[in-house]
Amino acid sequence: MIRRLPTPELGGATALILHRPHATVQALTRQLSAIGLRPAHDWPEPGAAALAADFVFFDADLCHDAMFPWPAGRAPMPLIALIGSEAPGRIEWALSAGADAQMLKPVGDGGVYSALLIARQSFETRRRLADEIAGLKARLAERQTVVKAVLLLAARGKTEAEAYDQLRALAMAWQVTIEEAARRIAEPPEAPEEGGADVRRR
Amino acid sequence: MRTPVDIGLLYSQGGSYGQMSRACRDGALAAIADVNADPGSRLTLTPVEADPKGNLDLYEPLCARILAESAARHVVGCITSSSRKEVIPALERGRGVLWYACPHEGFETSDRVVYTHACPNQHLLPLLHWAVPRFGRRAFLTGSNYIWGWEMNRVARETLTAQGGAVLGERYLAVGDTGIARLVAEIAALRPDFVLNNLIGDSSHAFLAAMAELRQADPAFAGDACPVLSCNLTECELPVLGRAAEGLIAVGPHFAGERGWRAATDSGADSSYEAAAYGAVRMLARLIEETGPDADLATLLASPAARDFGLDAETHHMRLPVLIARVTNGRFEVIERAGQVVADPYLTRRERWPAAPRPALRAVP
Repeated sequence: MIRRLPTPELGGATALILHRPHATVQALTRQLSAIGLRPAHDWPEPGAAALAADFVFFDADLCHDAMFPWPAGRAPMPLIALIGSEAPGRIEWALSAGADAQMLKPVGDGGVYSALLIARQSFETRRRLADEIAGLKARLAERQTVVKAVLLLAARGKTEAEAYDQLRALAMAWQVTIEEAARRIAEPPEAPEEGGADVRRR
Repeated sequence: MRTPVDIGLLYSQGGSYGQMSRACRDGALAAIADVNADPGSRLTLTPVEADPKGNLDLYEPLCARILAESAARHVVGCITSSSRKEVIPALERGRGVLWYACPHEGFETSDRVVYTHACPNQHLLPLLHWAVPRFGRRAFLTGSNYIWGWEMNRVARETLTAQGGAVLGERYLAVGDTGIARLVAEIAALRPDFVLNNLIGDSSHAFLAAMAELRQADPAFAGDACPVLSCNLTECELPVLGRAAEGLIAVGPHFAGERGWRAATDSGADSSYEAAAYGAVRMLARLIEETGPDADLATLLASPAARDFGLDAETHHMRLPVLIARVTNGRFEVIERAGQVVADPYLTRRERWPAAPRPALRAVP
């Protein structure tokens, strides 16, 4: 199946280039401007604006983890590695830094547009999967709460199956996940303070 | 004392898209003659020609040969996007520049190419914006089997879908293939509101002749029903199409008799291909006069004269008039003028797109 990519909304997006002053920076800047992005260039320390960039191109030869204002591998935007030395160590580091796409140096006439599209696509896929995994992990962690809630409901004279059905019905009625409904049953909130909001805490 | 300057010409003089190629070559040669005849010019231009004969594999070596064996640093040439993409490595090695005078599908702004004809926000988008409210939202897309046909139809599909339209069918033919029976049978069966024709050369001619026959045979296609729309049809192909051209609708920066584009008025050309190639050579000559024969492309494009021509140094594309015309009695009759449009080759700058049609106002009963 062909995944249809809409012509992406790149107009006005910002792209930060982390690379020492070099012809590669000029080539990237020209291509980015022609495509319609706003290129910026920082070296060696990315400025405060780095976190707001929509794309970051980084030098895989000379950059290191401490340069980035985010935990290693957890960039909040798509990253594109600019690879000069095709040495295993540098490629390994570029991957661990979270490169979503790469371009080989020296950068010449083309390559930026496809790098932008590929980086964005894989960044979004990676982020969607990470969210999904976090959700699944959270649900796994709540298994004990669900068991507790079912046992509490069953203690009122129901079979386990009936108790589970009741839990599911409650979750649907409250429009929350089964895990959240289980938590409300197993860990009832403290009585609300007078005039205070009904804040549920774990 | 005039400075001699070699200008490369890389146009096929035969092959399946020969009409377009000859129109561009005529335009470039006319401009060279006009520069040389101009007593005010400080240059004498000499064409250095190579003929790839419509063979994709000959473009790159012939371009390299022009750059290696003559003093030419600027080559005017190429019709298909495939051939343009082929020559770019030769241009990089030989430090040459290609002046490309045909409409293209966008998504390219090579540092080694100047694009003097239109890209999608100057042809396809305004054409669809104009056509959908008039003919309807159900389109059939067809094209030649290479980047032009594929990317044009992808953009068309995206644009139509965003407007709530539907693509009833999409079919491709190899460049030069004239076996169009199945394609026309599908169109006859589907009865779309319009057909977007991104076929080129011989395939396009065979298709248009068959569509003309379909109009005779099937009342559902008689008269103005189901028009065929094109972004690359110009006067240079009307003679081979003959009566089959009647009613075709095309978009372009120029049609015979129009006076909104300097390249066209200066050349007196009918076809926008001829005008774009003529304009490329005249611009190049002017920019070389401004900056010297050895200036690199960035210097040429940074000169104020480039801006006066409407040449954008950032995208290497032109600001161009957008005209929509219908073939009536053997000539294009302009039916819509959408003003001057600055190129947006990557479709990333919405402010350069044609305004979306306003929803029709309905009287509330």
